[in-house]
Amino acid sequence: MAQTRRVQVAGELVDTWCNVSGIMFSLGTAHHQCAVWCAVGGIPVSIRDKAGAVYMILRIEEDEDLVGSPRLARIMSHEVTVDGELIERDGVKYLLVTQVADDKGVINQTHEANGIQPFGK
Amino acid sequence: MANSATGALAAAVLALGAPARAGDLQGLDNEQSLALKGTVVDLVCGLTGKCAPGCGGGKRQLGLRADDGKLYATIKSVTDFAGSTADLLPWCGKSVELDGLLIENPRMRVYLVQSIRAGASEPWKPTIAFQEQWSAKNGKADEWYRVDPAVKTIIDADGVYGIKGLEPKKQ
Repeated sequence: MAQTRRVQVAGELVDTWCNVSGIMFSLGTAHHQCAVWCAVGGIPVSIRDKAGAVYMILRIEEDEDLVGSPRLARIMSHEVTVDGELIERDGVKYLLVTQVADDKGVINQTHEANGIQPFGK
Repeated sequence: MANSATGALAAAVLALGAPARAGDLQGLDNEQSLALKGTVVDLVCGLTGKCAPGCGGGKRQLGLRADDGKLYATIKSVTDFAGSTADLLPWCGKSVELDGLLIENPRMRVYLVQSIRAGASEPWKPTIAFQEQWSAKNGKADEWYRVDPAVKTIIDADGVYGIKGLEPKKQ
């Protein structure tokens, strides 16, 4: 099995597809609605830290049922700090969250510069 | 990030019965067409050995353990704003061929599944299972994400920006 490493990660909860593909501006308030759509649609949710590293969440505490998870969809775009186990394999940082240590809510206000992504409404 | 055109193209290719495909490029950063062969796996199971029956029944994120041993995070289908779990779940633990786009971003390497088939003698099927299942449950909608009950509950509560009371300026 893959090696795990204990980590603490702080950053924004993002939808992995938009963020990694670069298909649109994909951070903060401008992208919040789209991030909710993607989370409900079953696209994996990740944490993007201040350095730009992206960590795909596969578990939160004992909950591994994260496809379309209402719990995650409700907190998209939030700035969070989590403790967890990191597994790196084939170009992906996978994160098994053991504890959500802090949730500051949505603080990255990007809508004035970017409007509402992707359709403007 | 709308992929309706991709879905239509995939359906058109399917209708033509093309024996082989190459992923349809979308002009994305770091994209490349890539066909894969491998086994559908539950990512938690593949990484930790803690497995759920039937790959988690659609609730766990899935991936592909390719025949070369690499693990691919298959995170997107051709349905707008939807992942590929519904498309891959019937293939849990089975060998399958995927066609689509690899996003080789240095920050994370992910795969958009555009079409899927059991093997070379089978037709390609576009990855529209999420839309099909959503429509069966909720009725037809051109933009599922605008009328989905779970989405509406969240957006109605916190607004499009995710901050209560912060609303778009009236035009």
